[in-house]
Formats: sequence, structure tokens, C-alpha cells
Amino acid sequence: MIVRRRNLASRIGTALRWLVFIVTGFVLNLPIIMTVVTSLKSTADINTSPPPLLFEPTLDNYREVLGAGNTDLPGYILNSIVIAGGGALLAIALAFPAAYAMVRYEVGKSWLLPLITNLRAVPLIIFAIPIYLMYQLAGLLDSWTGMILIECVINIPVALVLFVGFVQDIPEEMDAAAKIDGASIWGTLWHVIFPLSRPILFAVLILSFVYGWNEFLFGLILTTKQAVPVTVGATFFVTSYGVKWGATAAAMTLGIIPPLILGLFAYPYIGKSMLTGAVKG
Amino acid sequence: MAGQTVGVRAKEQAEARYFLVALCAFLALMLGFPAVANLWYSFSNFTFHDLTGGSFVGLANYQKAISNPNLWAAFGFSLKFAAICMTIEVVAGLLLVFILHPLLLKRPWLTGILMLPMMVSPALMGVMYRLILNEFTGVIPAYLALAGYPINFLGRNNVYMTVIGIEVLQWTPFAFLIMLTARQGLAGELEEAAAVDGATGFRFNTLVVLPVMIPTIIIVAFIRFIDSFRVFDHIYVLTGGGPGNRTTSLSIYIYKLFFNQNFLGEAVAVSIMLLVASLTLLFAGLRLAIRRNGR
Amino acid sequence: MLKKGLLAAAAAAVISTLGATTALADFTILAWPGGPAEAALRKVVDQYNATVGKENNSKGSLIYFSRDSFFDKMLADAAAGSKEFDAMLTATYNIGKYAPFMEPIDDVATADVKATFPQSAFDTQSYQGHLYGIPTDLSLHFLYFRKDLIDQLLKDDAWKKKYAEIAKEKLGMEMQPKAPADWTWDDFVATALFFTKSINPDSPVPYGTVLQMKNLLFNIMVFEGAAASYGGNWLDKDGKVIVDSEAWRKALDIYKKIADAEATPGDSNSYEYAEANAAFGTGKVAFMPQWSAAYAELIDPKQYPAVEGKFDIIHLPAGPEGIKTHAHTLGLGINKASDKKDEVKRFLTYLGSKDAMTLYTKEGGQPPVVDSIMQAVASGRPDMLMMSDNAGKYGFVPNGGTSAEALGVYTNMAENFTGYWNDAIDQDTAIKNVVTYMEGVFKK
Repeated sequence: MIVRRRNLASRIGTALRWLVFIVTGFVLNLPIIMTVVTSLKSTADINTSPPPLLFEPTLDNYREVLGAGNTDLPGYILNSIVIAGGGALLAIALAFPAAYAMVRYEVGKSWLLPLITNLRAVPLIIFAIPIYLMYQLAGLLDSWTGMILIECVINIPVALVLFVGFVQDIPEEMDAAAKIDGASIWGTLWHVIFPLSRPILFAVLILSFVYGWNEFLFGLILTTKQAVPVTVGATFFVTSYGVKWGATAAAMTLGIIPPLILGLFAYPYIGKSMLTGAVKG
Repeated sequence: MAGQTVGVRAKEQAEARYFLVALCAFLALMLGFPAVANLWYSFSNFTFHDLTGGSFVGLANYQKAISNPNLWAAFGFSLKFAAICMTIEVVAGLLLVFILHPLLLKRPWLTGILMLPMMVSPALMGVMYRLILNEFTGVIPAYLALAGYPINFLGRNNVYMTVIGIEVLQWTPFAFLIMLTARQGLAGELEEAAAVDGATGFRFNTLVVLPVMIPTIIIVAFIRFIDSFRVFDHIYVLTGGGPGNRTTSLSIYIYKLFFNQNFLGEAVAVSIMLLVASLTLLFAGLRLAIRRNGR
Repeated sequence: MLKKGLLAAAAAAVISTLGATTALADFTILAWPGGPAEAALRKVVDQYNATVGKENNSKGSLIYFSRDSFFDKMLADAAAGSKEFDAMLTATYNIGKYAPFMEPIDDVATADVKATFPQSAFDTQSYQGHLYGIPTDLSLHFLYFRKDLIDQLLKDDAWKKKYAEIAKEKLGMEMQPKAPADWTWDDFVATALFFTKSINPDSPVPYGTVLQMKNLLFNIMVFEGAAASYGGNWLDKDGKVIVDSEAWRKALDIYKKIADAEATPGDSNSYEYAEANAAFGTGKVAFMPQWSAAYAELIDPKQYPAVEGKFDIIHLPAGPEGIKTHAHTLGLGINKASDKKDEVKRFLTYLGSKDAMTLYTKEGGQPPVVDSIMQAVASGRPDMLMMSDNAGKYGFVPNGGTSAEALGVYTNMAENFTGYWNDAIDQDTAIKNVVTYMEGVFKK
């Protein structure tokens, strides 16, 4: 009797958990779902009130945003890939050795680490203006290089914290063993620590890529036509005279697919690295 | 022997410093120069017509910035916004962890579905909500109205709650993910220990799990607070900081001072004060944290 | 493996970056985004590239910024001496602000170009005696109204009675329905209340009108017509700020009254051009004050089937000082930092020609051309004729409205006036804030 009752109770419990999951998943993702749905509607369907549940799907909006014209969406997507990827790789290249040095040799850990970490808390908009002028002088406005550099700045605090947290957890014996074999610091870092750190490198790469992809403010201020990222490019359809919601929705759908796919696969790594990095580091 | 070890250590430390050189040089260039430039700008009366010029005006910009009541309104908005969002996100994330943990333990891939919103650019998220919350063509108000609950999400009385709601809906997944990972990290031992004590369900969660997770919760709360404090994108896209300046965050305030209102010096002065304030606060906070850890 | 992959990716990134900065030989035109004007300008540029441009081995390409931050972005670029664009947008209300970063183009106004536009159009693109832009689009405001609804209101006795009751009850006035051409702002308010379902359950539409009350500078331009019709202005003859006046308060009250009565959609505080079109175009409101550019969109049944054949346009309602509408022209001029000024001048000369402007109008543009050209292309474009007519008769530019400070004033008004309409601050505070700001900037 008791066993059966508990069974029933646990079944109801599981059913309720499912209910919570489904409702939460639906509510959280509603804007994404509706954007995709809208991107498949004709303009007349979009401008019908109340919005029809059933409609004939069309690819016209995608044809419009991808078709020839001066709003170069494929180009914006390429820009985003290069900028987000470059920014992520550069941040790793700069932060990873530094994290190693900080953890194992205590250099700069007392002042540089907190200083850089705190950068995350500063609204970066306050640097936007002088960076604009600096880029103008250096000819970096509206270039991939310029955008990669700025995305790197944005990524470094998080990358550094996560790396420090991870390297701390690598047993020091691993280094010691390598050193007995006569390896230099560089050698140890390259041959021992680096291979051990693949999970965190992967997590930081994805996380930085997504952050870089989603950045809006600097993309808005620092680019005009050559290096416009897709977050900014998609808003070209939005706020222009006569918002073309269909085209906007199609542009946004294309603009969010890469980070969504990456996120879908990489979230466990992100969660773990955030936890070790932020909580323990 | 001991002396030799110290010698090797010192040599290695010196070598290790090279690892920092690239990072420091990069940051000095990308942020150090702008910081210095900001400092000069904040004491001068430069204009768009003369971006590299301008003459020294002392503390005039700071005086003007501080005496502008809108600055304090924006500061208050950001503070309140961050506090409210952080609280809801942490509480909702924690509840979801408690409820969904058993489910996700068996089917981990389900977690990914809840993670999608935080992968979307906040600016585009704002645009998406502008699309679905419109009173006529948006789905949510339209169907709520059909169901007999007409609500204007962007109406003047609701807009504040709406911008908070959007932030919460986008970033609760983040809080959830970190806390879920922490929860999964302590799966085995805790449950066994608790089973011995006979603690189950709700009591188990509040009495056993919660205390262990407190460090994680604090960190998550901290990260969410500072991220929400800096909010710009979705509010800028959705309301432009209005009506009036009711949803003007500090970031939007600075942007508008600079680009729309042409108070360049004042905008930069606000930036400098913000930079100094956040660095001071954070260093103080970090001191405390370090001391508590007994280091 | 990973290492090699990373290196290869990094190398590829670097190489392609270098590649990206070397292309570019054509001149670039920064123009106003979206709508019929964008489509039309694309056609004209294509035509130029295929004819005059080809002969001279010169090719134009267009770029756009998003509307909300257009001027911020253009200002930063122009002020920093950016060469990203060679031709740039000019607008009546900010010519003074951008003139220092632009090249005067008096020599582009050849006899040919002068035959295309009336002198008044050139005036809207000039600052301190120099021409800075070739005018491409005239912009002002119409009252868009639903013919079917207004017709019934004028005929149906039950509706007339109800109208009078509502006017009496809500406004304390004895009023009868009138045709939109004869409206004063009082008629506007009364009719808005009449067509609001929460006030009149028999109304076939949920809201009487739709006002754009987002904190955005363009929305103040829409509002400006009402203030001007009560005699409101920015500055008097001596340069004194006169916004703290009965006229501005009256006009502010009109919007406030409608907002408070919810005779405009409840989320109007987040509305701008597009949302207002959506409200009108989905058949949810009876009439609205709106930009002239909306006509070409609303008339398209593929976009707005709900109002197909059901709406018309007329001038804005009148105030004690008559009918007024904000009016400005947009145009194209030359970025001072450009290396390709001669090429751009050739293009602008072409743009100002009769052929180019005829094509531009046919494709949906709204240029302020001389009557003879207008008449030739205006069949099927009733908005064009009404535009040039209204601009001459009712067009209004406030004193100081072309100065370097104009954009800042509009922005400040947007913040404070939308704040008042949406209960964030009271009227006295809103006006005081605006006056303080204006006195600060105009004193310089």
C-alpha cells in the first residue's frame, strides 16, 4: 500500500515537473518562436489583427533580406563570424598564459586580477567615445581588426576569471613532473597545462563567441558599412521608415541561429566553467 | 638547498611576468588611453566641432553633472532595476533548480532548451518583444485581449514592469544554469547523507541543499546585479528610455547626454565618476571577500 | 590539432582583414533609411551608374543607418572626419549642426538644377547663405482618416446625437460632427473620444486616434503642428525663448487629454511612425496625424488590406492661428572629409536634373519639385499634390529650427513632453526643463 502510494505521488510529482518545464520553456522562448513564425508570414498576415493562428508560410521575407540590394545581410553575418571568432581567439591567447602565471607564480594576482575582473562591472559605454576617436586616428573605424580588438576587451575579464579558476584546480604535481623532465615554463604551459585545459578553452571560446556575436553598442558606434555586425544590421530593417516586420524577423532569425546552435551544445561546459571560475576563483 | 629553490622560484616568477606583458600592453592601449583621454575631456569644454581641442574648464563639467537631477534619477533607475531583476532571477532560478533537477538528471539535453534566451543578443531581444508586445499586431496582447484580459505591456503604467520582465526572462536561464551545475555537482553524497537523516523533498532542499549552495547563489546574484546595472540594449531599442526618462538607465543617460544633447564634457564627467565609484566599491568588496576567505 | 586549427583560423582572420580594407573605389552615399524614398533612391543611383556614372567611370553605392540613432552616428562620423561616406544626408532641422562638416555646393545648383526646384526648396537646404544639399524629399504631416467612419458620423443621426453627448460630457462644449477638412483641434479631440470604445461602446474601432508618444525627437515634430496652430514658437524676434506660453500649454493639453482618456492605444508611449501605421493600417483607429511618407505605404493593399480603399488624407486640424504643419526637406550633400568631392558633385548635379527627379517621384520619392514636373508625374499620387500645396500654405519652421541646436531642442522636448503626457512629470516641470535647456543653448 505504502509503496504504491509513494509511486503514485512520485508520478504526480514527475508530471508536475514536466508541466513546469514545458511552461517555462515556452514562456522563455516565446519571443524566439514568434520571431521565427513572423519571418514566415506575408506582410498582410503580419498586419492583420488579431494575428491569425493559421497562415500560408512564405519565404518571401528571406528572399528579401538575402536578395541583392544594399542591405548586405550575408555580409553582416560574415562580419559577425569573423569579429566574434577573432575576438574570442585573441582573448584566449592573451588571457590564458596570464592566468597560468597568476595562479602558479602569483604574479599580478593581487592587483591585476581584481582590476581586470572589475572591468566587467564598468559600463563600457564610458570608453566608447575616446575609443571612437582613437580608432579614427588609427584608421580602425569600420574594420574587422578594430571590432576584434574591442570584442577582445569585452571578453578578457570573463576569460581570465574562468581560466584562473580552472588552472587552480589542476594539481601542481603535473607541473612539477614536467619540470623534473627539464621543461621550461613555456614548455610546461604548452605541453602540460594547455592540453589539460581543453574543456575550459572550449567553454571560453564559445562563451566569448556568443558575447562577441551579441554585442550591440560598439557595433553601432564603430562600424558603418564594411564591418557591420548582424546585430546592428538587423536593426536596419527595424527602425527605418515603415518597419518591415517580416524582413526584420527574417534577419533576426538568421542573426540568432549561430549562437543558438552553439549554446545548445556548449551550455554544460559553460555552466561548469562559470561555476569553477566564478565561485572558486 | 632551500636557498636554491627560492632562487629558481624567483627566476621562474620573473619569467612568468612575461606572460602578463601582452595582456597588460593590450589593456593599457585599449583602455588606458581612453581612460586618460576621458580624464582630460572631463576637465575641458570640447565640442563635436572641435573634438581634439577644447580648453581647461576645471570642475565645471562635474559640477554640472552632479547638479543635474536626471543623473540621480537614472542612477536610481539602474540601482532599482538591477536589484529587482537580480532578486527575481535568483529566486526563480533556484526554484527551477529544485523543481527540475530530478527531471534534468535523467534527460540532460532538455536543459539546452531553457538556455536559448541567453544566447540571443539583448538588442534583438528588445526588438523581438517590440514585435510581440505591440497592442495590435503582437501576439501576446492580442490573444490576452481575446481571452478577456486586455493588457498594454508597453503602456505608461506597465512599461517599467515590462522592461524588468524582459530582462528577467532573458537572464533567469543564466542564474538557473550556474545553480543547476552547482546542484548537480553535489548530487551523490548529499542525497545519501540526507536519506540517512530522513530528509526529503522540500525540507531536503531548504535544509540541506540551500546552505551548501549559498556561495554560488551570492556569486550569481553579484554577476546578475552588475550586468543589469549596465543595461542598455533592450531598453534603448524598446522605449528609448521613455516615457519621459522613466526607463532611462545610467548607460542610456550617458549615451543621450553625449550624442543627443551635446553635453559632451558632462557625459564624460559622469563616466569618470562612474568608473571611479565602481572601482572603489569593487575593490572594497573584494578586500572583504578575500579577508573572509582567510587569505 | 586544436593548435593548428586555431593558428590557421587566426591567420585567415588577419589576412582577410587586410583584404577588406583595400577594396573600395566608388563613392558612398549615406541616405535616409527605409520606405518608398529608399527604394526610389536605389533606382536613381542604379540609373546614374548605368548612364552618367558609367561615362565617367564612377559608381555610387548606398549605405543606411538605423533611424533611431541615425543622427548620433552620422554626427560622430562627420565630426571625426570619417571618410566612410562621401555624400551625406541633410535635413532642414539640422543643417546648422552639420554645416561645419560639409562642403557648400552652391556650384552644383546649375541652371538645369534650378529649373527643377523652386527657390523655397533650396532655402530649406541652405545655411548662412550657402547651399548644402540637393533637396530630395519633402516631409510634413497630414491627417489620415477613415472615410467610411467619418461619412457615417456625418450622416447617422444616432451617432451625431451620441457625439454631441460625449462632447458635452467630456469637454463641456456644444459640438456637432464636422468634416475633417473643417476640423479645429477641438473637433479632433471630440471625434477621438467619440470613436473610443471605452467611452462610446458603439464605436466600430477601439480607439479614436493614435498619437506617437515615444521619447523620440521625430515625435515632437508631429506634435509641433498643433503648438504652432495655437501660435507657439521656439524664439521670438529677439531670440528670447517663448515656450512657456499659453500656446504650448494648450497643445500639450490636447495630447494629454487624449492620452488620459485612452483615446489613443494604451502603449502609445512606445509608439513612433511604424507603430502608428500599424494601428491605423490594421483598422484599429479612426484617424491619426502622421508623416506624409505613410501614404505610399498605407495605400498598398498587400501591406495593409484592412484599410484598402477606406482612408483619405487632409491637412491637419486648425488652431486659432490657422492650420500649421511642421515641414522639412531631406537632401543629399557632401562630406567635407571626402576625397571624392568632384565625383559626388557630378552625381548631385545628376540627382538635381529633371530626369532624375521624375524617375525618383515615379518610384515613390516625394521631392519638392516645381509645379510643372509635379503635375506631369502626380497622376496616381494625390499625396504629392497635397504635399506641395500644404507645404506652401501651412508649412512651419520654428525660429531657431535650422540652427545647430535644433536637434538637441527636439530631443529635450521629446524627453520632457513625453514625460508629461505619460504622467512621469507635470506640465510646469516639463516646460520649465525645456525652457532651461533652450535658454542654456541659445545663449551661447
